[in-house]
Amino acid sequence: MSHVLQRKKNKINRQYLIIDIFIWAFLILVVLFILAPTIFMFTASLMPANDILKMPYRWIPKGFYWQNYWQGIRGNDGSFIYIRNIFNSLIVASAVAATTVIFSALAGFGLAKYYFKGRTLVFMLIMATMMIPFEAIMIPLYLVTTKLGIQDSYAGLIAPFLVNAFGVFLMRQFFITFPDEILDAARIDGASELMIFRTIILPNSIPVVATLAILTFKAQWDNLLWPLLVVQSEEMKTIPLYIVKFMAEKHTDEGAMMAVAAMASIPILIVFFKLSKYFLGGAALYSSRKG
Amino acid sequence: MKKLFTIFIFVLLLSMTVNSVTAMEITFWTHEDPNRTEIEDRYIAEFEQANPGVTIKRVTNASGKIIELILTAFAANQGPDIFNMSIEDEYAYIVNERLAPVDFEAAGYPSLQAVYDAYIPGVLDPVTYKGQLYGLPLELTNWCIFINKKVFKDAGLDPEKDYPKTWEEMVEVSDKLCIREGEILNRRGFDFRYPYYLVAMVPMVEQLGGQLISDDGKTAIVNDEAWLKFLKFMQEWGPSGRNLGSPTYTNARKLFNMDNNDIGMCHTGLYQIGRINADNPAFYDSKEWMIVPFPVFEDAVKDVPAAYYGHYYMVNGQKPKENQQMAWKFIAYMLSHSEEYLTKVNIVQPTVELMSSETYKSMPYSDVFTNDMAKGHIVYYGENSAKIQSHIREAVESVMLAGVSPEDALKTLRRKVQEVLDEG
Amino acid sequence: MSKRISSYSIERKKARWGWIFVAPTLIFFSVFSFYPIFNALYTSLFRKKLLSLKPPDFIGLDNYIYLLKSPDFWNSIRATVVFTLGTFLPLLIFSLIFAIFIMSRKRFQNFFQIAYYSPAVLSSVVAAVIWLLIFDPRGLGNQWLNLIMNTPGIDHKWLANSVMVQMSTMLVYFWKYVGYFTIIFIVGLASIPQSIYEAAKIDGANNWKNFWYITLPLLKPTTILVSIISMLQCLRTFSTQYLFTQGGAPLAPINVITLNIYYTAIRDHRIGRASAMSIILFIIMMLFTWVQFKSSRADEISY
Repeated sequence: MSHVLQRKKNKINRQYLIIDIFIWAFLILVVLFILAPTIFMFTASLMPANDILKMPYRWIPKGFYWQNYWQGIRGNDGSFIYIRNIFNSLIVASAVAATTVIFSALAGFGLAKYYFKGRTLVFMLIMATMMIPFEAIMIPLYLVTTKLGIQDSYAGLIAPFLVNAFGVFLMRQFFITFPDEILDAARIDGASELMIFRTIILPNSIPVVATLAILTFKAQWDNLLWPLLVVQSEEMKTIPLYIVKFMAEKHTDEGAMMAVAAMASIPILIVFFKLSKYFLGGAALYSSRKG
Repeated sequence: MKKLFTIFIFVLLLSMTVNSVTAMEITFWTHEDPNRTEIEDRYIAEFEQANPGVTIKRVTNASGKIIELILTAFAANQGPDIFNMSIEDEYAYIVNERLAPVDFEAAGYPSLQAVYDAYIPGVLDPVTYKGQLYGLPLELTNWCIFINKKVFKDAGLDPEKDYPKTWEEMVEVSDKLCIREGEILNRRGFDFRYPYYLVAMVPMVEQLGGQLISDDGKTAIVNDEAWLKFLKFMQEWGPSGRNLGSPTYTNARKLFNMDNNDIGMCHTGLYQIGRINADNPAFYDSKEWMIVPFPVFEDAVKDVPAAYYGHYYMVNGQKPKENQQMAWKFIAYMLSHSEEYLTKVNIVQPTVELMSSETYKSMPYSDVFTNDMAKGHIVYYGENSAKIQSHIREAVESVMLAGVSPEDALKTLRRKVQEVLDEG
Repeated sequence: MSKRISSYSIERKKARWGWIFVAPTLIFFSVFSFYPIFNALYTSLFRKKLLSLKPPDFIGLDNYIYLLKSPDFWNSIRATVVFTLGTFLPLLIFSLIFAIFIMSRKRFQNFFQIAYYSPAVLSSVVAAVIWLLIFDPRGLGNQWLNLIMNTPGIDHKWLANSVMVQMSTMLVYFWKYVGYFTIIFIVGLASIPQSIYEAAKIDGANNWKNFWYITLPLLKPTTILVSIISMLQCLRTFSTQYLFTQGGAPLAPINVITLNIYYTAIRDHRIGRASAMSIILFIIMMLFTWVQFKSSRADEISY
């Protein structure tokens, strides 16, 4: 290669290198910013409260101050009700994830693969529910719940969230791209619609189902406003309610508060890491669809 | 087989009906206080033993949350049998006729007048409505200033002599006690009890001659000069003035017990003594704390201490008659232990008997509280007190944190409170 | 003749099945979404106080008129709009940038996605509690900003100053959701077939032209999806503002509509007025969504 071309190539390579380094530095700085608060929560949970708000913050705790976790689980009244609360959150979030997946898949399938009069209207109506702010309906919902007598119970916590419009949307989007030929072939073979749903659609929708299940589980785990209204006893509280109660009580110290927050986050972080492959973008998701 | 089955069903049904006749469940919602929970759980056990067939379910919640919970429960006509809140939050329930009047017979009194006679005059007025009595006091509380002597000594002051008697002195003393890193406060002297503006701050305005609401209840904000002086004072206190404290720091009373050298004084009630003992016995025993009266402005026209408020036990009027009776019987049983409430929980039930007892008179610093209470008056209560309090909060926050001028803040406050009064 | 009849009955059968599949969801929405919103609409026409046992007074549109004239309600609209625009615009722009940067790396793609997404996994209550400590005058917020700006000892009043407290809520929201939208963009980017880029290369296009003329237009449906979802989420924000005000922050700067609805119902007991506010919020959300749809009609993209 001639000198001129070689120098030009070097110059371009250098420019690419600079851009490359810049992008790496940018991404890494952002990672630090994003992970810092979570790391703060975990390190603070292992320190006595006095050390947390000392300036400057010592990122590495002096020792493992387990008392925070003990105090968090024990609660300020020593009743260990937190364990029951975690259990409640698990039950409610799992139940809602299960019902959402089933109902969304059914409705999404119906909307994607079947032509019936009024189909578009039904879809629009369902999408419109996404725009109904929960605060708008919380009081009427509460009255419905008490009329059914299910307040302060699992049924009451689960009922308003059996299915949601986003789930229907996600499923419908996915099923639209599902090849019709397979379905028609199954019909010719004599399979009923329900059988088609169960044996063909569902097994081939694992990524979407898993994604929806995780997202729904997480949204329920996080839900504050509805349990705030409908739960009245200590035993039926969910994790967000426990945290809010813990924060408001007069004896709470910041260390125990962070321990409670950490304990609330560890299960969901574990679930998320284990199932993350299902909704990571890029090659992972796309290759599974193509194959 | 079928016969066995029908007998089984019959017995089951019978047992269910029998159960529902003799079993009565009384739900009792109250705010959290570990010292009080301990003794009231014991009263529950004793009462249940003496009254078979009755179970009492006691549920506690943080004092902020309980207001919402009770509201939503009553809105669905599912309120608990017994509950208590501070009077300014409870009053709406009286006015909306949700409550059962005190059943003096079930409570063990010969007549309604006997109930009034048992209590200090005036303390039952807030729960008297249209000639009926709707609550019995769990506590009547006022707040004074708690001082951490060690912090004073650390700053080179003598707590016995140098404690602040006026608000102006409070500013200077707090400033000496503050430890700052640049603008950031690592230790504060005094800081206010921020969400409770009706109890802690309206009296400051009254010291200067102002009023929240005119005597006839029709006009909001009386005596602009007094209000402006108060708002200027708060502005001076906050981050844009002398930087002595702000609502965004941790609450002073939460820090006080821990004795961590991060707060010098706080504003709280007699019950705090018991909490210091529970949270930090070493600090309690060291006696490095003391209590002094509520400061007064230098040129105050009236000597007004912090307002006192009361929690009253009340009974749901929508429950069956038998529940109401049993509820009042149980409440009276609990309240008959005034001395234990005083010694174990440090809350004062304003009965004639207790206030003249040796137990009360010999409690450390009880005289400070008694003197202040004698000079004070009850907190403003009304159907819309919560909303008015949030308006006052907004006014103070806007001058302290948002750079709004006291004149503008006062104009907004007047307009909003007047609107609340006019709407009714 | 018979062929037409049999295909007609197959259509009918399929249509029926369509209804059967959709029915459970429709029933649910009727009870738990449509009925309550109509109930709220009905309640908004009355002067109703939550605790009152008396029947409410019918006042027609008076609640709405009061709200539209109320400076307090307009403050809530201001707070909500400021929060929404201040959050969803950075969210949109940065998540796209992050997605592009991540996709341009050959390694660690998964690591970055997981790391960026992790805050979205935490519950908003947990996030609020953590950030309340960070924004404490003695906390990490001041420490880091002072370090970067070399201004030791300055209190930036994250929760005290009206402008700062709004920015603090936006920061928390951004931190929480940027990873979520980054992943959505990555999925969108990944669905653009490589063949298009290869064809463009043959035609002599460089990276910048690629981005502007191929990537961005093909990303349009994803961008719209991200905009609408993020905007609707922002309009409905509640937990962060609620917990910050509980933690001592002033109410007025961050009194978003949802928080106002909550306090009007629960603190002031005015359920009629709160219902009217909810209906107005509902209308605002529908309006924003319609505007978004109108300004970009692409729904299906074909290569």
